[in-house]
Parts: sequence; C-alpha cells; structure tokens
Amino acid sequence: MTRFELSVALRLAEFELAVELSTDARMLGVFGASGSGKTSLLEALAGWRKDARGRAAIDGRVLFDERTQLSIEDRGIGYVPQDLLLVPGRSVRRQVLAGPRADASVFERVIGMLELGALVERDAGSLSGGERQRVALARALCSRPKLMLFDEPLGALDLPLRRRILPYLVKARDAFQVPAIFVSHDPLEVAALCDVTAVLERGRVTALGATQRVLRERASELEMLENVLAATIDALEGSIALARLPGGSVVRVPSLGLAVGQPILFALAAEDVLVTTLEPRAISARNRLPARISAVHRDGGFCWLEAELDAAEPTAITVALTPAAIDELELAVDSSVHLVFKTSACRVLAG
Amino acid sequence: MALVDPDLTEVLATTLRVAGAALLVVALPAIALGFALARASFFGKSVVETLVAVPLVLPPTAIGYLLLRTFAHDGPLGPQVLGFDLDVLFTWRGAVLASAAVAFPLVARAARSAFEGVDPRLELVARTHGLSRLATFGSVTLPLAKRGLLAALALGFGRALGEFGATIIVAGNVRGETQTLALAIFEDIQLGADRHALLLVGVTLVIALGLMWTVEHLSRPRAPNGTPRAARGNAR
Repeated sequence: MTRFELSVALRLAEFELAVELSTDARMLGVFGASGSGKTSLLEALAGWRKDARGRAAIDGRVLFDERTQLSIEDRGIGYVPQDLLLVPGRSVRRQVLAGPRADASVFERVIGMLELGALVERDAGSLSGGERQRVALARALCSRPKLMLFDEPLGALDLPLRRRILPYLVKARDAFQVPAIFVSHDPLEVAALCDVTAVLERGRVTALGATQRVLRERASELEMLENVLAATIDALEGSIALARLPGGSVVRVPSLGLAVGQPILFALAAEDVLVTTLEPRAISARNRLPARISAVHRDGGFCWLEAELDAAEPTAITVALTPAAIDELELAVDSSVHLVFKTSACRVLAG
Repeated sequence: MALVDPDLTEVLATTLRVAGAALLVVALPAIALGFALARASFFGKSVVETLVAVPLVLPPTAIGYLLLRTFAHDGPLGPQVLGFDLDVLFTWRGAVLASAAVAFPLVARAARSAFEGVDPRLELVARTHGLSRLATFGSVTLPLAKRGLLAALALGFGRALGEFGATIIVAGNVRGETQTLALAIFEDIQLGADRHALLLVGVTLVIALGLMWTVEHLSRPRAPNGTPRAARGNAR
C-alpha cells in the first residue's frame, strides 16, 4: 500500500484544478470525463506544469511543496502518456533504453513480460497501435520509476485492442509493484486495475474510495457497471474453464486460451446477474452461486445489490435490479440468495 | 578555351571559401538563437525576433554601409577606437562578414522553425525518464531537428554564395581576394564579356539548383518511421 497525499492547485483555461485527496492505495485511479483536469493533474505531478502549487507526496516522498520542487528528472516518474510520445525513427530498443536509469536486466525482464522480444530492433513507427502502447509501457518501466503515471494509456486504441492490452497493464502492476496513478474515463479499466479511485469533475475530487463502491455510486451515469473479479483457473472442461475465486467459490468462464493454474481477471456486468431466493434447479445458466446480501442501494429508478460470495474471504458482486424485483423478493441486508449468470456473461480481461 | 577556365576556378574557390567561412561564423550563434526563440520565454523576446528579421528586408547595400561605418577608421570597431586594425574592410574577412550578416537571419529563422517542429512533450517525457536537459537536447531535440537544421544551413550557405550588395561595399571586388561569383558576373557584364558572364551564371544556377534541391529534400515531412511521406505514398 502506498500513501498518496495530493493537494494540487493549477489554473486551467476553463476552471481551477484543485485536487485534495489523501488515501492509501496500491494503484490509485482517477476517473472522470474528458476535460475534467485528469491530464493536467498528472502533468503537475510530473513537473511539466511549472505553475502548479500545493503539495504532492507519495509515501512521504515530496515531489513538490512550498519548500521543495524536485526537477522533472529527479521525480523518479515513469510516464505512459495517451499519445505515447515515442521518438520517431528510433528502434524499440533505443526507445526503451533511452533513460539513464534503464539497465540490461530490467530491460530483459520488461521486454519478456510485455512480449516485445521479437520487436526490439524494429522502428517503433512501424509497429501497430497495441505494440506501440507496450513500448511506451516498457520505456516507463525501464526507467525504474518510484511512481508510475498512466494517462489514459488505452484511450487511443479501439475497444478490442484495449481489452487485449489491459492484461499487460495488470501484469506490469503485479510484477513491478510500483505505486501508480491511473487516469481513465473507462470504468472497466479503472475497476480492473485500481483498488482506490477518485472521481474528478471540473478539477475537483467529488468522490474517493474503494473503486467498486465509487463506480457503483455513479452507476446511473455509466453505460454499464462491471464487476471485475480475480480468480485462478482450476480445471478446463472443453470450452469452459473453472475459475476459483479467492474465497473458494468456482465460476465457469469461457476457456479460450486459458491454462490450469493461470491467474485471471474477468468482467461480469451487474445487469447480467440474476438473483433468486430459492436454490435454482433445471436452469441452463452454469453459474449458480450462494451469496449473502451485504448492501442494498436505491437511487431513483436504479437499484443495486451488493452480494458477497464466500463468508471467510468474501468476494463482492454488484447486481443491478429493478425496485419492483427487490420489493417482490423482499431482498434486504443479510438475505441469503443465489446469483445466477451464464458462462458467456463472464468476459476474461487478463489471463 | 582551356578545359578548365582558371578565372572560373579562382572565382569559384573564393566564393566557396567566403560562403563556407560565413557559414562557420553564423552556424552556432544562429542555431542557438533559433533554439532560444523556439523554446524560451524571456523579456524582450519580440524585440529580438524583430531585430533578427530586419536584415531580411533591409537592402543589402544598407547592411554593407552599416558594416562599413562600423569598421571604418573612426567607427565603433575601427582602429581609432580599438587601438588596432581588425583588417576587415576590402579583405576576404570583410566579404565573410558581409555574407554572414545577410545569412544569419535566414539560418536563425529556419533553425527556429526546425526546433518548433519538435514536440516539446517528447523532451518532457525524456526528462521525466531521467535524462538531463543537456542529454535530452543531444539525444531527442537535436536528432529530430537535424534535417531542419541542415536545411537551414544549406539555405544560409546559398544566401552567402549569392551575396552581392553588402559584399561590394564592405569588401570591394578584388580578384582572388573578395571577388565571388556574384561580383564576377557584375564585372563581366560591365566589361561586356557576355560569354563569360553567361558561363558564371550557368555555374551559379547549377549550385543554386543543387542547394535548393537539398533544402527541399531536407524540409520534406518525414513519416513516423523515418522515411519521407511522399516515398511511402508512392510505394503503396
């Protein structure tokens, strides 16, 4: 866990950025619409904005305050900008090894992890969007950063490619354990990567907390609320893989490309989960899991249940329901229910 | 007529020597000024920009006259003030100075454009990943601006080659010392040596074509992988 203490003020064209937050997180998400000040915040932290005021400290290490102003090169930041900013006409190797902090051992590890081995001598300009994305990520990791800043790193890619690159970000997060701030307007990316998320609106933090809770509170504004769950593949049964959640429950997910023992992340839309108070029998859906309701939220026409699987090591799943369904089934906190969803409703994001 | 015209050889050698020396004189300060104008914000920047642009519109004879007055016996850089003679007027050094004076604004402005063509965020990313300002300049800015800077230098060299008005006032028209192609053409026309003037014009034209082709080639936008965009387009 890393302590993020940000009190950043910066005059922007449309409004004043005034970010105030203090939280512990492994990867801090900054979620907000375009133009809410997310990029400006990262640029202020990186030292690109000389007019930024206030204080920024990561685990007590001050980047800037009234007395300290670390130079850009001394901040120890690995930056993955949305437009990548790779130097034209330069090979992948030269891009990644450009910084003085990069060394051969880190390079080999990063290149291997991001599957760039076959591309290292290629001109970065000749690579596809997804490959260039991985090069930008490799360059940041090879600078041996004390803090990673991700500025909508998948924003320039189309949706299928974003989903293919996401696993590399998860791998990088888990392998390098570097404190990171991840900026995005995609709730799925934030949910998949960030344990804590701040919502930024016109330069101000309007919500801060556990990612799933923050996103659920804004569910009425989002197109779809996704549960992002971590699991390990226990067995393969044809086109179905048995994925074990940390608490022991087994979820059936599509097996395409997965192997036994592999850790995965998968997404499950809140709208795709059915709730029943009776044990479901004779039903085609492969996933029928007992759960206990831990919270019920009503927000006008939207209602959300939070149901926990596995009492010992609970996994929370958010379910979208109509108010009528909640009333008819008399759903309340501590009610025992079964969650039902199809295998195909589980979309493997990273494996 | 001899296979190689000795007059032409002498004039060509003087021309290249003067233009080359002028380029050496202006290259570093003009590129440095171009970088400062492209990247730095400082008090009086617009005044500097205007002063740099003025020689582009000033008649070369006016520039020559100002230089003449500056290095004259009683001028601010003349022997009377300095206590020694810089030996500029009516020498090859005067020709170099005159050519440098007219080439400087062109090189500085083209260098500025070359540096402005480099996304400053590329430099910021390099510094963020640990490179010092100097290392970033050497490994990011300069390589990316290189083609534009070479075009700027080629342009400056071309301008120095063709310089006439300022040179004739500051350096005169001394064969083997200050007589460049432009001055030799002028002399041939005055003496009625039309065939020789035409020969010199032809040589000048060839040099000018070569230089401008180089400038155009270097100024062509490059595709992200380093090949000229036009070439990539044709290959498809």
